[in-house]
Amino acid sequence: MTETALDELGPVDYLVVEFPAGASNFTGEMAAELVALVEAGTIRVIDVLILTKNEDGSVDAMELSDIEQLGELQAIEAQLAELLAEDDVVHLAACMEPGSTAGVLIWENLWAAPFAAAARRSGGQLIANGRIPIQAIIASIEADEALVTEGV
Amino acid sequence: MPLGPGRAGRVGVIGHPVAKTAVVAKAVSPGPSPVAKTAVVAAAVTPGRGRRRI
Repeated sequence: MTETALDELGPVDYLVVEFPAGASNFTGEMAAELVALVEAGTIRVIDVLILTKNEDGSVDAMELSDIEQLGELQAIEAQLAELLAEDDVVHLAACMEPGSTAGVLIWENLWAAPFAAAARRSGGQLIANGRIPIQAIIASIEADEALVTEGV
Repeated sequence: MPLGPGRAGRVGVIGHPVAKTAVVAKAVSPGPSPVAKTAVVAAAVTPGRGRRRI
């Protein structure tokens, strides 16, 4: 990747969505929403893996291209890069429960790329970022409300 | 099923075992329904509603 291309690269994130044994209900809704994000130019999907953690802790990995009926995901599959290495599969599977299946998604936040590039050109450097879970916000609000109730 | 050939022998990008995202126990305790909680969160992040304590 050239220096210019790197400078224009948006932040790259990953997520692992676990489906406990017997709890999956795949209707195509997730694929449709993902494709919508790509078509809107919000994100670019870089890599996708489907992991299964067996009861003995071993992990099986499946490429998107291994799925026969991709449906709407066909367009995404054609654009994928194999960014994740074998070691990454082990690291990502560490958070899975035995018997579960998980989807791993790596994506570039295209919406953030122009701002990030502008920040770099302005001399800024990223020193912290992260995600605040909604559960944490709820807990904070509830803690505030408890303090009010107690008259503190 | 084998991984794609491009994944073998490369340096990974994750670098460490991933920990499961913690669920805040308080948020899943009995109380208002999830819908009601969502409304509370939406109100809390509405511009102009100050609740910052430093």
